[in-house]
Amino acid sequence: MTDSIGLTPYLLIGALLFVCGAVCMATKRNAIGILMGVELVLNGATVNFVAFAHYNPAFEIEGQIFALFVIVLAAAEAAVALAIVLNFYNNHTTVDVDTAEELKG
Amino acid sequence: MDFLYPLAFWLFAALIAVSAIAMVVTQNIVRAATWLLFTLAGVAGIFFLLGADFVGATQLLVYVGGTLVLVVFGVMLTAQGPFINLKIGAGEWAIAAAVGLGFFSVLAYVLVGFEPKVPANVAVRQAPHKAEQPLAVGAAAGSLPLADNPETRSYHSLASAAVLGEALLGFEKTAPDSPVTGVRDIVTVGPGGTSSQVKIVKERTKMAYLLPFEIVSLHLLVVLIGAAYLARSKRRRGATS
Amino acid sequence: MPEFLQSNPGYLFVVATFLPLASFLLVLLSFGMWCVFRPYRDTEYGAVLYHLFGGDAPGRTPAYFAVVAIFLAFLCSIVGFGLYTAGFYHVEKKEKEVKDIRASLARPENADKKKELEEQEKKAEESLAEVKTAWENAWTAHFDWIRIYAPGQNDPDRGTVLQLGFRIDNLNALMFVMVTLIATLIHVFSMGYMADELAPTYADHQVHTEDGHLHRRGRFGRFFLYLSLFCFSMLNLILTDNLFQIFISWELVGICSYLLIGFYYERQSASNAANKAFIVNRVGDAGFIVGLIIIWTFVGSFNFEDIFRQVRWPSRTAEGELRSGAKLVRATAEGAPTADGKQTLVADPDGDQVILYPSDLVHTKAGAAPKPGTRIEAAASPKPDEHGSMPYWVLVVAGLGVFLGCVGKSAQFPLQVWLPDAMEGPTPVSALIHAATMVAAGVYLVARVFPLFTPEVLIIIAYVGAITLFIGASIAVVMTDIKKVLAYSTVSQLGYMMLALGVGGWTAGPFHLLTHAFFKALLFLGSGSVIYGCHHEQDMTKMGGLWRKMPITAFTMLAGILAIAGVPTFSGWYSKDAILAEAIGFAGVHHEHMLLFLLPLVTAGITTFYMFRMWFMTFTGEPRDLHVYDHAHESPWTMTLPLMALALMAWLFALGWYPWDASASWLEHEIEHAQPIAVSANFDLEHKFAVSYHEVTGLIVLVLVSLGFTFAVLLYYWRTLSAAETKEQFGRLHTFLSNKWYFDELYSAVVVRPALVVAHWCKNVDLYAIDGVLHAVAYATKWVSWLEGRFDNGVVDGLINLLGNVTFRTGVRLRGLQTGYLRSYVLFLVLALIGIVVALSYVVMATAAP
Repeated sequence: MTDSIGLTPYLLIGALLFVCGAVCMATKRNAIGILMGVELVLNGATVNFVAFAHYNPAFEIEGQIFALFVIVLAAAEAAVALAIVLNFYNNHTTVDVDTAEELKG
Repeated sequence: MDFLYPLAFWLFAALIAVSAIAMVVTQNIVRAATWLLFTLAGVAGIFFLLGADFVGATQLLVYVGGTLVLVVFGVMLTAQGPFINLKIGAGEWAIAAAVGLGFFSVLAYVLVGFEPKVPANVAVRQAPHKAEQPLAVGAAAGSLPLADNPETRSYHSLASAAVLGEALLGFEKTAPDSPVTGVRDIVTVGPGGTSSQVKIVKERTKMAYLLPFEIVSLHLLVVLIGAAYLARSKRRRGATS
Repeated sequence: MPEFLQSNPGYLFVVATFLPLASFLLVLLSFGMWCVFRPYRDTEYGAVLYHLFGGDAPGRTPAYFAVVAIFLAFLCSIVGFGLYTAGFYHVEKKEKEVKDIRASLARPENADKKKELEEQEKKAEESLAEVKTAWENAWTAHFDWIRIYAPGQNDPDRGTVLQLGFRIDNLNALMFVMVTLIATLIHVFSMGYMADELAPTYADHQVHTEDGHLHRRGRFGRFFLYLSLFCFSMLNLILTDNLFQIFISWELVGICSYLLIGFYYERQSASNAANKAFIVNRVGDAGFIVGLIIIWTFVGSFNFEDIFRQVRWPSRTAEGELRSGAKLVRATAEGAPTADGKQTLVADPDGDQVILYPSDLVHTKAGAAPKPGTRIEAAASPKPDEHGSMPYWVLVVAGLGVFLGCVGKSAQFPLQVWLPDAMEGPTPVSALIHAATMVAAGVYLVARVFPLFTPEVLIIIAYVGAITLFIGASIAVVMTDIKKVLAYSTVSQLGYMMLALGVGGWTAGPFHLLTHAFFKALLFLGSGSVIYGCHHEQDMTKMGGLWRKMPITAFTMLAGILAIAGVPTFSGWYSKDAILAEAIGFAGVHHEHMLLFLLPLVTAGITTFYMFRMWFMTFTGEPRDLHVYDHAHESPWTMTLPLMALALMAWLFALGWYPWDASASWLEHEIEHAQPIAVSANFDLEHKFAVSYHEVTGLIVLVLVSLGFTFAVLLYYWRTLSAAETKEQFGRLHTFLSNKWYFDELYSAVVVRPALVVAHWCKNVDLYAIDGVLHAVAYATKWVSWLEGRFDNGVVDGLINLLGNVTFRTGVRLRGLQTGYLRSYVLFLVLALIGIVVALSYVVMATAAP
């Protein structure tokens, strides 16, 4: 029954999530917003992994293992990123990333 | 009942799509967090549809219940008045939209018509024919356990939680033909659909993921300490940034 | 040393030559030392040395050196001359002995004494040969100085040699005595005459500077320095036996003449005169060099003996002896020259070639001059025992070239213009150089190289001499400057000498040279005394009646004038008579050249006239300028003593016995001993004619002399005829003569002006063309460098700058990418990602396609 959908739609979902996450990263001025974009990207990748795990028998275990790891690492990364954002907020009293332009050439 | 699965899929897909796009579009950070929640839920549903129960559960537990909560906490700590709505200009929207659409179209172009490459001794699970019925749960085919029974196997993927757990613990069982030994049979059903044309191909799988598991746990420890250090309370600087 | 001199007495003359050189070098060295010590004259030892070598005022020491040197040279010359004559007569005696024995052998009555006579003859011949070789070796010597070979050759027989050497014969010895004696007397005279130059400052009234007259240091010593150098040069000239050394001395005397004429060089006239003298001489020297070149090329040697031996064939004497250098043999070529350069020549009096006699007289098999029609073989580059040949016209040109040098040096027509201007020098200079010695060098050289001259050249010499003597005399008639009169008189007398040589009177020419030296030196020194006594007044129109104030001068000068006029028993009479005799001899044989006799004849009268005119104007009558007359005084003894000595010489020098016999002069006989064979071999007939008409000619000359004397007396002593009226009557002629026949103007227009035009043209070429080219090149270079600068600035720098600018601007623009915004970085990430995906997908699809 799962086979009635096929692999491609799942991949498309993963692609959509990825693109949305990338665009979200590119457009959000709020630092947390960027973080959310990162979450979306990671989710997109995870969907991809799991889809392939399902549809490629040789990849069954590995895909899911990967997905698990991704989730864990996403959590870790979110924690650190949030710490950074909080620091940023403490230093600049703002979470607007447009104010962080010291790297401007 | 064949329509249930595609329906579920399309529902979840729609949820994900709407939520993701809404999350991108909204300017309000709190609303973005909410949409993220829905997106993550939808993704969990996709996982369940793909038979990755454990991953889906983990997604809900860790991602939604952990990461998202963390993000919400962050939002809560920082979203003071003026920072809730940070707008960007129309030009940027245009660029973002263009880039996004472009990116998606490229990916879609690549992905549509994609045939995954499978090794010669491994068959791809094809879309089942109508004639093919799920094999009855039960033991008419013999005394094979469920997992090994070709008739009963199609619903169950090898990656059950137990197997995943063992893999993470680093078990690599080598005894053949054991259902829990990580040897699995690939079942190919011929066009006739009779069990006499079922091919059983045995394949070993490697399941030694102990090292990555340990690394990740160490990583988590480091992250824990690091985040705790980074986010320690410091004297707040002045208003000037 | 005495033994050396005894066996080589010729070296006495060499010593005599080098004594003035030693004096010159010594004085020069002392001048050098003076210059060296002059900056230190304030220090103790420096002052001593400075004053030792002269000090602030010139000292007399250089004069003493010079006088002593030249006097010693005179002594050497006298001794040498004595030895030479003694030796000569000794040889003559031996020859006479041999002759007598041969004569007695020939006589039939001595047939029985034949054997002993023959023995005697042999012994006499041997002793004669011995004496003769000894005598010949005693009076000549030479050494090779520079050998010149063609590149790559080292064969002593083939190269040419520049030699230095000397050869004494009668003419030389006499010239030595004359030169050294006159030089000594003039040195003594100059010590008195140049006393003005002893002052520390000398005021030259003829040179005007911004603040009055020029004041300079006296130049007493320098005068004697130059005199010494001149004496050395002149003595070297008459000592030598080759043309190369003569040329060296030629130029040296030219230089000394230049230095001495331009002694008062701050005077424009003096420096111009010095230049003129040297340049005109140089014109002559150009011809001289041409002659030298020709002789070198065709004859291969500069030695007189060698040249004459080759150019003229020998002739046999009565005793059968070959005397070389006698006859010129012309020939025509017959047939073509053979492969090894031999050419057959046929003796032919009108041929266009001259057969050269082999240079090795000893080893050759050739004989005396061949008769016409004889065949002789000549080689192109002959060995010492082979005949050679040269084109006749080349020999003529050589003779003309050498003669041209003499024309310049002896102030003959057309190069006589420098001699009168040379009177700018001090009077002793005029006396020594331009009367007695240097100008005589030309005549001496003509006499020396006489065998080189072909009959055509000799005719030209004669005519040149004739023209010169006439021109000189005619101009002297109208001159008012006492020295100018004497200068033109010198020109005229030199013409006489040349004329004599041209007509074959080889003895008469040098004879007149010797006598003329004495009386002309006397006349010049006398005029110097007059000038000195009248405080440097030279214009005769301001003099008059000076015999009362300076009697010695007056009467010694009278002696000179009598000599030049040709009054019997005076030396000039003998020589002038000889010349005229030779002239009539020649004219008598060649009637078409009668002019060569008439001109000197008439000029003798003119000479007498202008000489007495000079004497009368200066010394007799009433003084024309009282100022001059009042201050006139007799000169000191240093000046009058030489005058008296010279007067004596002028009278008695050429005396012979009987006093009334014009051909009895001992001097003439001496000179005759030195006469080359070429003269007697070719002018035999003329000589005979001359001898037979000698007395008649003498009488005719005396008539003319008396005529001249009469006119002079009438015009200037008794003043019966008015000189001023005569001048007016012959106004045009007088102007013509006063302007020296317009020679200077002619030369100025024909030679000087074109030369100046060419010089200006050259200057303009240099200034505009050459400098123009240079400037153009400079501008071009500047322009090119400007271009290059533009290129460098614009293109090269521009490129570099462009590179830098582009890089900078690119950097600036690229810097824009660093927005600092996180979001844009993410966007770039995404874009890059898209790119990677696209690329990968292409790769994947390309490999997955089949």
